[in-house]
Amino acid sequence: MNDAAATTNGDSKGIVPALRAIAAGSPAVARGTLSPRVVLQFDHASRIYQPHENLGVRYRIEGIDDEKVRAVERSAVWYTEGKGEEDLESHFFERLFGQDAVNAAVPNGSFAIVLPSSPLSYEGVIVKVRWCVRVRIFFEGGKDFVSEHVFEIGQIPPARNRREPLA
Amino acid sequence: MKLPQFFGKKRGHRRTGSQAWGSFGEGFFYAVLLVSGFVFGGLVLSGTVAYSPTDPDTVVLQHGYDWWMWLLTLLLPGALVAFGGSGVARVIRVWGKSDEHRAASMGLPKLLDTMGQAAQDAPGHPGVPTCENLVNSPGTLLRYRLPLESPESWTLIGFGLFAMLWNAVVLVLAVSAGLDLLSGKTDWLLFMVLVPFAAVGVGGIVVFVWTFLLATAVGPTQFEISDHPLAPGGSYDVLLGQAGTGRFRTLEVFLEVEELATFRQGTDTRTERLVVWRERVKEWHDVELTPGGRFESRFMIDIPADAMHSFASAHNSVHWRIVLRGLSESRPAFTRIFPLVVFPPPAPLLRRPVHSAWQVSP
Repeated sequence: MNDAAATTNGDSKGIVPALRAIAAGSPAVARGTLSPRVVLQFDHASRIYQPHENLGVRYRIEGIDDEKVRAVERSAVWYTEGKGEEDLESHFFERLFGQDAVNAAVPNGSFAIVLPSSPLSYEGVIVKVRWCVRVRIFFEGGKDFVSEHVFEIGQIPPARNRREPLA
Repeated sequence: MKLPQFFGKKRGHRRTGSQAWGSFGEGFFYAVLLVSGFVFGGLVLSGTVAYSPTDPDTVVLQHGYDWWMWLLTLLLPGALVAFGGSGVARVIRVWGKSDEHRAASMGLPKLLDTMGQAAQDAPGHPGVPTCENLVNSPGTLLRYRLPLESPESWTLIGFGLFAMLWNAVVLVLAVSAGLDLLSGKTDWLLFMVLVPFAAVGVGGIVVFVWTFLLATAVGPTQFEISDHPLAPGGSYDVLLGQAGTGRFRTLEVFLEVEELATFRQGTDTRTERLVVWRERVKEWHDVELTPGGRFESRFMIDIPADAMHSFASAHNSVHWRIVLRGLSESRPAFTRIFPLVVFPPPAPLLRRPVHSAWQVSP
């Protein structure tokens, strides 16, 4: 693994992924006996990419013990945050199911994609655009666990820092 | 014991309630509408709910409706079936799917989304609105003439519609009162209702005429631009033409970025707008407009190299626009807005190679 690569895990990006993980946790999570965690590495240490650039990730799923995994979904999506309702669009999505496909993706896996030209990551005041890689694990019991890892496309300064006095 | 929560609310970054229960509740609601539509429609078609004025205690089969009567009768059950059916179809389509899976399943869910209306994406630029409507009018000196997006126009249309509809109601009441008078009857209750209604009607007309005069007194504004869509780091030639009469204390041209967010608040759908960046491009003082002539100025606008591009999704958007503000000596201030579309920076000529030699899954 490239030493410069950025490593993240499911709950390393603040409270949001953690809450999502808890909300959608596996049966073992609900029982308090299992704590899944997805450690994910981007191939850029900064996790900042440019439009049309290649993005590569490698991940390791920890803490699922003997829990049987039914399917894995890997995706690169953008979503909005802020005052408005959340909009979510998928740039890359694949669902791996069947024993062979799941065994190839759990507990270790990797994938690479070419990023689109837009939308660029944006930190506005009431509208924010975020990009992330998500790894979602579906357990046999019907529950699922999702891990979200944010990255950026482009380098647009936050809007609040650019606001000038309104006339 | 925790009861299932069928309705969710947005709480900052998270939503309350269970997604499964929420989907079940939504599906149940639409299923009830669908079944109600079928039952109601079936009863109407079979004549079970038909009413016989001559024998009100007996349920009868009544045929012989005209086609328009059938249409009116079946309007409500038809609406219930259509609304309930589309809702059930949407719930079934997304049932058990993750958010990402739903987003990847294009087409029907977006069509069935009752609240969000995503703008059409520009080809090759996801999340960026198309600018087709901004480049279909050629300019006189520069390449394109920008269309006007003035809130004043919508206000004027709103006042006009209100005045028209309200006074139509007043007219019906007045005709009824007049016929009563001609036949020698005086319905005092009708007259008591008519007087305040007529006052509001006259007020509506006055407000509409005043707004119309204000909107037309300034004269048309024209903006032309040398290219469209715009790109970060680009400079563009702009022509302003302002017609009308009178003296303006100031005329200002701004380049603005506005964020727009649509959200649900209770049962209402609200939209919040916020200008997050504004640059005064040009300013003139004591501009005298003469009848038949127009004020013209040609200048450049610069899009910052690190600017956010125009963005539009179903409930959120970022707009670029040119805004003209004028302050007259004798009339209220006016604002005219001309939308722009800024695309993301062009793709780099050379792509960076993949940074690692990881084994990539097929």
